Amino acid sequence: MTFPERRASLSPAETESLGEALAREIIDNGLPRFVALFGDLGVGKTAFVRGFTRAIAPDARVKSPTFALVNEYKGKTCSVFHFDMYRIEDEDELYSIGFYDYADRGGICITEWSENIEYALPESYIRVELIKDNESDTDSRAVLFDMIGA
Amino acid sequence: MKILALDSSALIASVALCEDGKLLSEYTLNNKNTHSETLLPMIESMLSHFSMTLSDIDLFAASAGPGSFTGVRIGAATLKGLAFGSEKPCVEVSTLEALACNLLGFEGLICPVMNARRSQVYTALFRSDGKTLTRLMDDSAMAISELDELLSKYEERVMLCGDGYDITVQAFNKTEIKYTPERLRHQSAFSVACVALELYGKGEHKSDTAFKVNYLRPSQAERELMNKNKETNED
Repeated sequence: MTFPERRASLSPAETESLGEALAREIIDNGLPRFVALFGDLGVGKTAFVRGFTRAIAPDARVKSPTFALVNEYKGKTCSVFHFDMYRIEDEDELYSIGFYDYADRGGICITEWSENIEYALPESYIRVELIKDNESDTDSRAVLFDMIGA
Repeated sequence: MKILALDSSALIASVALCEDGKLLSEYTLNNKNTHSETLLPMIESMLSHFSMTLSDIDLFAASAGPGSFTGVRIGAATLKGLAFGSEKPCVEVSTLEALACNLLGFEGLICPVMNARRSQVYTALFRSDGKTLTRLMDDSAMAISELDELLSKYEERVMLCGDGYDITVQAFNKTEIKYTPERLRHQSAFSVACVALELYGKGEHKSDTAFKVNYLRPSQAERELMNKNKETNED
């Protein structure tokens, strides 16, 4: 994968595969261990995380952490910290879910609704934006990958 | 008097055992492991070298913040459990005051700085005469640039310590800094114990239930409670 890159997904399963491919890139090529997801409701962010996590913690059951705010999936070599920032309103809230402490633990952070915490994104991270790109095909997505600051 | 002190307010986990102000043991880990998994085994191992149990401890002390949200909570929860179980008093120590205590032997301005992210630090300011610390500024959270401005007004060289050392040294361009050796820059549970002993002497010890943490930010639960109370008052 090169950055920036635009890929297409025609189904949730393909979105999962893109997530899985990105996780392998991060592990194999030492890319930034922080993935910021952008995109509207129902665009497939959790599907992307499901595939992503499959590459690191294959036994984990990935669910959207809408209420828990963060789920931790323990893999053999490292953990995936899966955040949902939908309800995060300011930096004090971010601090009080321990957001800054997770990055220090050496796992990989992946955040849904990164729109809400753009000010707190690390110096280098991978940006993934999912967009509904075809009104007549409701499953069709454009997935834009970019590497920021690295 | 035997003191068991701990600090887990940042990446480092540190525990210390002291008797009448003398250090018996200090055990410090910097391995990114979760403090909730390391602190208690560290304490157990340390006590075992002296054939002591928790009931031999007279006073418990912990860094009560500021610092990492998770770290401060783990430290406080551990301390409360130990003090409650052994029915002994405890002392809250400011993480920043304990850090400043690392540099007690030097004369001049001492400024602990902890990384609060986004170019901010948790900080305070002390003056040391080589034997005692006098506090010049309360524990605060501020932008590094603001701290630079504030310290430069003193027109003297300042010693820094804490996990914000590198980012602060890099960002300062007005304040003159005195070099601090690496081994004095980090959280030390022995420093926590030293401050605790002094506070105990002033009668500032309390029960486990009265032990309070200080994040310098309202936690989510507190904020929700404040909002709820506000709504109730408006009704």
